[in-house]
Amino acid sequence: MTSKRRRFVAMVAVVASLALVATGCASKTDTSDTGGAKTTEVVIGIGAPLTDGAVALGQGMVRGANLAVQQANETQELKDLGIKLSTVEGDDKGDPTTGGNVATQFVSNPNLVGVMGHLNSGVTRVAVKIYNQANVLQVSPANTAVDLTNMGMANYFRVCTVDSVQGPAAADYAYKVAGKKVAFVVDDATVYGTGLADEWAKQFAADGGKVAGREKTTDKDTDFKALVTLIKSSGAEIVYYGGIYNSAALLSKQMKEGGVKVPLMGGDGIFDPEYVKLAGAANAIGDYATSVGLPLAELPKGQEFQAAFKAAYPNEAIAAYDAYSYDAANVIIKAIIVAAKEVGADKVTTTEGRKAIIAAAAKTDFEGVTGKVSFDAKGDTTNKAITVYMVGPDGTWAPAPK
Amino acid sequence: MSLSYLLEQTLNGVTLGGLYALLALGYTLVYGILLMINFAHSELFMLGGYVGLGVLKLLSDPATVKATGLGFLEPIQAFFMSGTVGFVALLVATFGISAIVVGILGMVIERFAYRPLRHAPRLAPLISAIGVSIFLQNAVLLWIDSKQLPYTRADGSAFVTAQTAFTIGTVHVSTMQVFIVVTSLVLLALLDTFVSKTRIGRAMRATSQDGEAAGLMGVNINSVIALAFFIGPALGAVAGVFNGMYYGSVKFNMGFVPGIKSFTAAVIGGIGNLRGAMLGGFLLGIIESLASGFVSNAYRDVIAFVVLILVLIFRPGGLLGEAVAEKV
Amino acid sequence: MGGTKTASTPTNGSKGSTRSKTLLYVGLALLMIIVPVTFQAATGLGFLVRILVVVGIWVLLALGLNIVVGYAGLLDLGYIAFYAMGAYAGVLIGQSFSSVLGGATYWVMLVPAAIAGAVTGLALGFPVLRLRGDYLAIVTLGFGEIVRICLNNNIFGLTNGATGLPKGGDQLVPPFGAIWLQDHVRFDTPIGQFVFSQNLFWYFIVVLLCIIAIIVITRLDDSRLGRAWVAMRENEVAAAACGVNIMTQKLWAFSLGALSGGVAGVTFAYVQQFISPESFTFMESVFVVCIIVLGGMGSIRGVIVGALLIRGIPDLIQGLAVAGVLKLPGSAISMISGYRFLVFGLLMVIMMAVRPQGIIPSSRRARELRPDDERQLEEEDQTMWDVEHREQVSVHNP
Repeated sequence: MTSKRRRFVAMVAVVASLALVATGCASKTDTSDTGGAKTTEVVIGIGAPLTDGAVALGQGMVRGANLAVQQANETQELKDLGIKLSTVEGDDKGDPTTGGNVATQFVSNPNLVGVMGHLNSGVTRVAVKIYNQANVLQVSPANTAVDLTNMGMANYFRVCTVDSVQGPAAADYAYKVAGKKVAFVVDDATVYGTGLADEWAKQFAADGGKVAGREKTTDKDTDFKALVTLIKSSGAEIVYYGGIYNSAALLSKQMKEGGVKVPLMGGDGIFDPEYVKLAGAANAIGDYATSVGLPLAELPKGQEFQAAFKAAYPNEAIAAYDAYSYDAANVIIKAIIVAAKEVGADKVTTTEGRKAIIAAAAKTDFEGVTGKVSFDAKGDTTNKAITVYMVGPDGTWAPAPK
Repeated sequence: MSLSYLLEQTLNGVTLGGLYALLALGYTLVYGILLMINFAHSELFMLGGYVGLGVLKLLSDPATVKATGLGFLEPIQAFFMSGTVGFVALLVATFGISAIVVGILGMVIERFAYRPLRHAPRLAPLISAIGVSIFLQNAVLLWIDSKQLPYTRADGSAFVTAQTAFTIGTVHVSTMQVFIVVTSLVLLALLDTFVSKTRIGRAMRATSQDGEAAGLMGVNINSVIALAFFIGPALGAVAGVFNGMYYGSVKFNMGFVPGIKSFTAAVIGGIGNLRGAMLGGFLLGIIESLASGFVSNAYRDVIAFVVLILVLIFRPGGLLGEAVAEKV
Repeated sequence: MGGTKTASTPTNGSKGSTRSKTLLYVGLALLMIIVPVTFQAATGLGFLVRILVVVGIWVLLALGLNIVVGYAGLLDLGYIAFYAMGAYAGVLIGQSFSSVLGGATYWVMLVPAAIAGAVTGLALGFPVLRLRGDYLAIVTLGFGEIVRICLNNNIFGLTNGATGLPKGGDQLVPPFGAIWLQDHVRFDTPIGQFVFSQNLFWYFIVVLLCIIAIIVITRLDDSRLGRAWVAMRENEVAAAACGVNIMTQKLWAFSLGALSGGVAGVTFAYVQQFISPESFTFMESVFVVCIIVLGGMGSIRGVIVGALLIRGIPDLIQGLAVAGVLKLPGSAISMISGYRFLVFGLLMVIMMAVRPQGIIPSSRRARELRPDDERQLEEEDQTMWDVEHREQVSVHNP
């Protein structure tokens, strides 16, 4: 008995001392930040799925944002202001609860003023409120759920367009340009996929097309054989898939192998080189994807980005959200600069500075690599250009014939 | 919906069922002997897919030679990539190596994760198995690749191209489908004969009835259990390679859903019963395929699990299982 | 944290030990208040309060499952379904009545959430509880998946599918006072600024719920019901022969556990202000089981330690790095975040091999698994032999 109680007391003591040590750590870092050199350290969080969920897209987000921060740190403007930017990665696994924890961790960081992320709309639903309470700016490169900007969160902006713009644009293309009259619509039962597929189907029917079938799979599914048979019997001329590249690629592959030789169309979630790799170039040729903004190669800034990307990551290909993440990170960086000039560089991490950053982000207006970046009153991008891409004979995504 | 549609969906189901059956055999073997759900079995299935892909790349993907700088592979690849003999040899090597590697891994897992727990309370091995499962998934994620990998050569060409074996009416049956179903049936027949006819098979059955008594009669229980942990994962690895070839990719978390389904299949057939596992696998595959073809693709898993619950409520021993009274 | 289990362990009864016990509880209570308040005040450590809230919700969940697995010995691999039921019931009903209830919505919703959990538990339990151990495990697993898939596919147009609830633009009303405290209680301390955040508010609510659950469960454990559960767990046939109504006892355990899950679910929903089917996957069910088994089956203190380890530790290190307390480069943070589950899986295996009875085993269970002395062991062997012998006799002479 007594030994048990002693052990229990010891446990309590250990917990208490841990708490003390942790607090000690915290206060120590504080002094090292304010003392010493005059440069102010400002941190930007990158919230993305890095070990689970759409990992390839998450890694792209990290690449894009890090590139923007590296470039910004080399500019004379930031050096003159005495600001040194750095990034910190938070792995949200594409899961709202984990995302909520990551968001709380981000806002606990006293030097963190902005977050570039998250990929999944569900994660943002939880995280944005936490950022809002701490006056942290959030700029998402990828959230397409329409209602996110109806939540009344003044700190939230996105550089990508929403389902209700992207879906109908793609449907119009399929019906009017590609001349497809019968479609089969599939989604992966995620927020992103369902939203996009619903909007697409609505517009396709409004245009006069026939939606021959509507089915759901999951984003982890790899077996689409039964679905392919169903699509075959429906006589569809095009398949729209709302979802991410990995399952879309397998659906396309199994369709073509199962004798359904019709193109698959998807949103920006499948606009990724991995899609072609997974489906096999022979199967992917002729498949469509839509993406916000104009093709990188057609924009002067886009070409610069391609060159800089190649220099920074010689072994990587540009994935779906690299360019958006680059722009999203730049929104934060530019807002930090504006705020620093307004309230003073040493005050950007205070509540006053944070509010100035959010105010500055709302007035964003610059030429980004995906086109003009500016926001409407709700925080949605004003750049509503959608480009349709197609997998060309060489097995790469290229702008589709208009 | 036409008859050929029904036939085609059934065909999809039978093929899927063949994969479930191969996996279910592993669950049922281990459960029959140790009364434990080998939760890590689905991860061994996944690893089978990865090992198979590795072997295929080494033996028949010229890009691998360039990437690894292993020049001596070139003549080997030339052999495996030429003619029917080379192709058959490639398949044998792929399935064989994958089965052996994963089988040995299964034995290693049994030795270190399960054997120390043989006399522990019922839940301990299950938890340990879940731990192994989490470990293996993350090991693949960290040390191999976190992305979904295509089951093709680097240039995108398939190792085994999909061809039509024969046609029934308008329904095309692919070679891959025939290959999967035939292989799973043959492997079941072999395993069934092995367990019912050989001396070691008899020892296995004895151990599954009463391990302690079998031990007293001179059966080396440890080696019997190790053997079960070799055969089960080896069959799982074969299913993993098939899965990769048939559906076209491998990913670190691909084992989970087929794993649960196959265990369901084993339970439906009557757990501990080899033929039952096979029957359960094919039944579940067909039910799932018809469910997604005629009812709703979104609810295919729901329908599969409802069938499981109904079977267990109305026939608790499974379809082929005997109604065994609980040992007291 | 926690330690109320002592009520069921025999005490020496001397005055000195009672006083030291009181002292211990007072110290513990103080610690449970001071530690989170300190975290909240310290710069860069505020996230730890949220981790504590999440851990607390998991303690509540695990306490519920502990009734089913630890006391009644029924393995339930779909426990998260009851958590989901509570969460969805609490949000759906709460949203319909929030204009009337206002800040009381959460408190009132505890009732329908608990009922939703318990009724689901009964509805599932009634047909399937006749099944034996592992079949029960797999059926509950299937049930958990059925619930999740139905939620995800927007069944009956209620659940809003993967998009989750509440729908965009709608809000869940936080309980009375949470907002006021956050806006008005803030002051500077030597280690940073203290804000009475909503996380801290929820922390106290969750701790309160855990304490209530612990008291109820301790009383149950000592009751007739608790003893019936133990008898049933150890030997169903023998228990039935002694007049324990197995089905009723199992249903009690199942629905009480489900009730606790429902309460945890609605709390989770209002803490996170958002629910979606992603939070109710099979892996979450597995985590609850792991908490119980790692901590020690049937042990309340074990459940708390298990929840801290499984839900708290993995987030702790990553959190310290992300929040800027530990200075680590980005790649190192990714590595920690990547390797934590690998280590976690390995730990589970090692733990089972080294200490299968859990970190803090329940006193009753510990004696069953690792008898204190040889004599007791012999005694048990003797009884086992008796039972087997007697049974054989009965088989041969019906």
